[in-house]
Amino acid sequence: MTARPLPYGDPAHQAAHQFLVEEAALLDTADYSGWLDLLCEDIRYLMPVRVTTARGAGFDSLADMGHFDEDMYALRKRVQRLATDHAWTEDPPSRTRHFVTNVRTFRNEARAPAEFLVESAVLLFRSRGDTREADLVSAGRADLLRETGAGLRLARREITVDEAVLRTQNLAVFL
Amino acid sequence: MNFAGSQLAAVLADVRRGMIPAHIYGDPQIFALERMRLFARSWVFLAHESEIPDRGDYVVRRVLADSFIVARDESGAVRVMFNMCLHRGMQVCRAEMGNASHFRCPYHAWTYRNDGSLTGLPFHAEAYGGEDGFPREGQSLLPAPALGIHNGLIFISLDPGVPPLREYLGDFAFYLDFYTRQSPAGVELRGPQRWRVKANWKIGAENFAGDSYHTPHTHASVVDIGLFREPKASKRKEGALYVAGPGAGTTYKLPPGGDFAGQLRYVGYPEEMIPAMAASWSAGQRALIADSGFMVSAATLFPNLSLVHNWPQIDERGTVAPFISLRQWQPVSERETEVLSWFAVDAAAPGDFKRDSYKAYLMCFGSSGMFEQDDVENWVSITEMAAGSMARRLKLNSRMGLTAAGQPIKPPLATFAGPGVAYQGFGEFNQRHWLRQWSDHLEDPR
Repeated sequence: MTARPLPYGDPAHQAAHQFLVEEAALLDTADYSGWLDLLCEDIRYLMPVRVTTARGAGFDSLADMGHFDEDMYALRKRVQRLATDHAWTEDPPSRTRHFVTNVRTFRNEARAPAEFLVESAVLLFRSRGDTREADLVSAGRADLLRETGAGLRLARREITVDEAVLRTQNLAVFL
Repeated sequence: MNFAGSQLAAVLADVRRGMIPAHIYGDPQIFALERMRLFARSWVFLAHESEIPDRGDYVVRRVLADSFIVARDESGAVRVMFNMCLHRGMQVCRAEMGNASHFRCPYHAWTYRNDGSLTGLPFHAEAYGGEDGFPREGQSLLPAPALGIHNGLIFISLDPGVPPLREYLGDFAFYLDFYTRQSPAGVELRGPQRWRVKANWKIGAENFAGDSYHTPHTHASVVDIGLFREPKASKRKEGALYVAGPGAGTTYKLPPGGDFAGQLRYVGYPEEMIPAMAASWSAGQRALIADSGFMVSAATLFPNLSLVHNWPQIDERGTVAPFISLRQWQPVSERETEVLSWFAVDAAAPGDFKRDSYKAYLMCFGSSGMFEQDDVENWVSITEMAAGSMARRLKLNSRMGLTAAGQPIKPPLATFAGPGVAYQGFGEFNQRHWLRQWSDHLEDPR
């Protein structure tokens, strides 16, 4: 892994950044089957529980408990559920906007086919109904993007959420 | 409080006959009463011993606004201490977990051992005249007024006169063992996931206590996608609802003809766990599964600890894996609740089982769980409506299972192996049981 991020002008960085923006567009239009197509079959999709600890504690998330710890089966089930007529929590659907920024791309020289570690920040705005206050979920993401014949695909995502107590009613959304 | 006694009496009378004034799910005056008359008196769950396995380990948990340090001290004993410095009232611990031999207040550096005793006080001689002016001996963070531990579950009460925990648990302890004593090693908890929902805390507690009636519809999507085969109405209505001591819960009917081991295999327990379950549970507990043919599912221990046990399909091959979750409905206000949701698993279970069970939990319950997502949507919506004026004119019908004259529409199960009273099929017996306890607390002015 190179220690320094690729220059913003590097075509690999631009491709990775574009991948994240296209992915956000799929999520914000609720095109979840399109989103699944961007994932590798061996995907691991993780969101550890963050905790408040003393500065010297050496950890600020739980090693053995996540909000998500998903493989492809679990993600497919979530998407299938949202496509049923009975996923009440998203019917009417949330209005969401994934703001993706602070993108840095690192090349993993050792791997063939090529893999890139891509770090980004995501701010999810989620609004439901007409009387409730909207929710915000802020998180960092560390993604592993793999070059495939069909383009870049997401092989791993670790979401570092910035709250110890989430302020959204559930995670019927993807980050 | 500008809440006339006669008004309260009318509300409680309605609640007791199963006609619930809708505003109790969004009323600040009711919440003020709950704070004083319920949460200041009842046994409230804080943590499990497996969360603080080593000396010096601690977690910080609340009973409403009161923060407590739950620590394992240097002798290995569990201590629960009010997290407020004796001097100026600063929180002495502002992390939610960790390991520490001492807690030092950031304000003036008063320092306490992890058993709560005051050990350090800067400039003791110059500022206080030493032991003559301020004897340190016997000074300690305020201990929880009452502390009780059962199956490693740590409860406290703010009322020092509360009956002992085991006495309080009564017949519900029988059912608690299915979740927290599957082997002599006991259960281990992971988490909790914590999130805030804009819902009144009572709704979740009542739902888990006995609402088998919501499962076929609210959770239709998880049946649609083949995640869990049981919730469809044809199966759910065969389950039994039981009321026992301060708790109540739901069960699923197991397939006919199975023996003890066969039924546990059916819900996904591996062969190696079954002998420990057989040895850990009493003849009555085994008979509930083997003879009565029921498997525990959701339950609530009054006031705000719920438990759940389900067995979804966790992979394409059709592997069925059971999971257990403990969850607490921690009130923030009359219209907001912090949910704390733990994954729980037998400490002696094989590693593969723990992995599968954890996956089953994450898919079904907790902050991202596919069951829980739809539950919370209902509860938020109810709370929103309950805060208005019209909710004061609406009494919610919670009389399912009773005739107009107040008699059960069918007799209790005669052959149910567990203690308490059980009915098969749909009914709101359990929610009314929970609400009767709630009413008893709220009307007690002491």
